[in-house]
Amino acid sequence: MKARLLTFCLVVSTMSAVSARAQAVIEGKVELPKARSAPVVSKRYEIVSKGGVLATDPPTAVVYLEGTFPKGAAPATAKMAQKDLNFVTPLLPVQVGTKVEFPNEDDTYHNIFSYSPAKRFDLGRYRPEERPIPSQVFDTAGMVTLHCEIHEHMRGIILVLDTPHFVRSDTEGKYRLAGLPPGHYTLKAWVNSKTTLVREVDLKAGATLHVDFP
Amino acid sequence: MNKIITLASLMFTAFAVTAPAEDWLERLNENLTVTALDGDIRLRLSGTLDLEAYHVDRPAPGLIYTDHDFLFNPRLTLFVDAQFGPHVYGFVQSRVDRGFDPSEMNARMRLDEYALRITPWDDGRFNLQIGKFATIVGNWTKRHDSWSNPFITAPGPYENLTGIWDSYAPGDADTLYDWAHVYPGESAAEVYADKFQRNPIIWGPSYSTGISISGKIGMLEYAAEMKNSALASRPKSWEIGEVDMAHPTFSGRLGLRPNPMWNVGVSLSAGPYLLDSAQPDLLPGQRIGDYREWVLAQDVSFEWHHLQLWAEFFETRFEVPSLGHVDTFAYYLEAKYKITPQLFGALRWNQQFFGNLRDDLGNPMPWGRDIWRVDMALGYRFTANTQMKLQYSFQHEELALHNITNMLAAQFTLRF
Repeated sequence: MKARLLTFCLVVSTMSAVSARAQAVIEGKVELPKARSAPVVSKRYEIVSKGGVLATDPPTAVVYLEGTFPKGAAPATAKMAQKDLNFVTPLLPVQVGTKVEFPNEDDTYHNIFSYSPAKRFDLGRYRPEERPIPSQVFDTAGMVTLHCEIHEHMRGIILVLDTPHFVRSDTEGKYRLAGLPPGHYTLKAWVNSKTTLVREVDLKAGATLHVDFP
Repeated sequence: MNKIITLASLMFTAFAVTAPAEDWLERLNENLTVTALDGDIRLRLSGTLDLEAYHVDRPAPGLIYTDHDFLFNPRLTLFVDAQFGPHVYGFVQSRVDRGFDPSEMNARMRLDEYALRITPWDDGRFNLQIGKFATIVGNWTKRHDSWSNPFITAPGPYENLTGIWDSYAPGDADTLYDWAHVYPGESAAEVYADKFQRNPIIWGPSYSTGISISGKIGMLEYAAEMKNSALASRPKSWEIGEVDMAHPTFSGRLGLRPNPMWNVGVSLSAGPYLLDSAQPDLLPGQRIGDYREWVLAQDVSFEWHHLQLWAEFFETRFEVPSLGHVDTFAYYLEAKYKITPQLFGALRWNQQFFGNLRDDLGNPMPWGRDIWRVDMALGYRFTANTQMKLQYSFQHEELALHNITNMLAAQFTLRF
C-alpha cells in the first residue's frame, strides 16, 4: 500500500514539473509616462476640511496576451476600495465576467459611477459599513473610467480584458507574465487611454521571452 | 420661433459636444493642475459653461429679470482651488454672464467668491476663513452650483421677493403694501416695475464679505460668520467696496451628523439690511444699523443610495422703521432620485406665508402675497462632464391678477 502511494506521488510531481516547464514566460519593461500631479480637492462649500495633501499612485501599465485560450474557471472577485478619498488602486485589470467589489474605507459617503460604454452604472451613495459591499460584474471588454459624484477629483480605471493572461507592471514598468501556453499571440501593453503598445510574440514551451515596450 | 431655435441649438450643442469631447476633457482636467515646490503648492483651474433658456409667464418669477416671456442666459464660471501645504486652502469663483441673476443685461465678468482658509489641525476641528464667500446658513449653498443643483432655479426662500426694499424705508404700512403688491388687480407690468428694488429673505447663496470659523467635533458641526451684509442683501451689497463692515451681520449654524446619511442643523442670523440710501427715510436719531433682519432656520438632509432629500425652514423677521416688525415663514421640501445611472428626476415643494400688518386704519392684512410653487425637473448626464436639465414650475400666488403662473426652463452644462 505504501509503495503504491509513493508511486502515485512521484507520478503527480513529475507531471507537475513537466507541465510547469511546458509553460512559457514573458518579462520585460514598459516605458511609463510621467506621474500626474496630486489632485487639488475642492473644499469650497465644505464646512469641515481634512488635511490638504492627497497621496497619488505613480503610473503603472497593464500587459496582457491576446489570443484564443480555453475557457477556464470563473474569475475570482476583485476589489477596488476607496480610501483617503482615492481609489486603491486606481488601475485594476480584470478578466471579462469578473465581479468587482467597491468597499468604502473612508468615514464619509462615496458615490461611484461610470458612463463608459463598456459599463454604465451608478452605485448611489453608500456608507463604509454598507453590506453587501456594492459590486458590479464587468461583462464587456474595454476601459471603464470610474468617478465619484461627491469627490470630483477621484479617478479610477478598470481595464476589462478578454484574456486570462494579464499583469499590472510595477511602478518602474517591470512586468512578468507566467504560466502562458505555447503558441503565436499578440502581446499588448496598455499605458493610458490613448496609448496601447503591441508586439507579436511566439511562445515556446519552457522558454522565457524578454519584451520591452519603449 | 426664436425660442424653438434656441432650444434646438441647446440640444444640438449638448449632443455635438458630449461624446467626442469627453476624452479630451478628461485629459484637459489632468493638465489644469499645476504644482510647485515639490507639490506643496498646487492650483487647479476648473469651471462650467451653462446655457440656459427660460420661458416664463409675466411677470417673471423669483430673481429672473426680464419683461419678456423668453430669456436666454449663457454663463461661464471659472474656479481656482489652491492648496498651500496641508493647512492652507484658497479658492476663487469668477463668472462671465449677464448678471448674477438671469437678466437682459450685457455680458460682464466679476469675482463672485474669493477666500483663504486656514486649517491648523488635520481632523478639521477648526477652520478660519476670510474673504467673500457663500453663507454658512442652511444646507443649499453646498449644492447651489449648476452641476450639483438638480434644478435650474433656487428654492423659493432663496429667490421669492418680499415687499422689503433695502434702498428705502417705508414711511407707513400702505407704502409697504404697495411695495409688496398686495392690492389685487395689479398688472404684470406694474408688479415688474419695481422688482429690482425688492429683496428675498436670502438672496441666493449670499456671497457676502467677511470672516468665518467652522469645524467638526465628533458628530457635531459648527460654523459662525461675520459678514458685511444681511442674508437678504443684493449681490452689489456683497462687495466690501459697496458695503463696509460698519453694520455687520452675525450668523451661526450648529449641525448634527450622526452618520453620513443624516445631517440636521439650526442656523441663526441677525444683521442690518438697509443701505445708506435709506438713512434719509429714518427719523432723527435712528440709524440704518438699528433695523435688522433676523432669520432662524432649520435644515435637514437625508441621502441613501439613489435617493436624496433636503428640507429647510426659515422664520424671518424684518425690523421696519415706523412699523415695528414684519414676519414671514418660508420652507421647501426637495427630493432627487436617480432613475438610471444617467437620468435623474427631482421634485420640490416651496411655500411662503406672510404675517399680518395693521394698515393705517388698524385693520390687519398680510404684508405679502402668500405663495406656493411646485418645481419638477428631469436631468440627463450625457457624460461625466455634460448634462442637460429641464425644469417646469407651477406657481400659485394669492392676490395676484393671475393666480397661476408657469415657467419652463432648460439648461445645458459643460463641466471641466
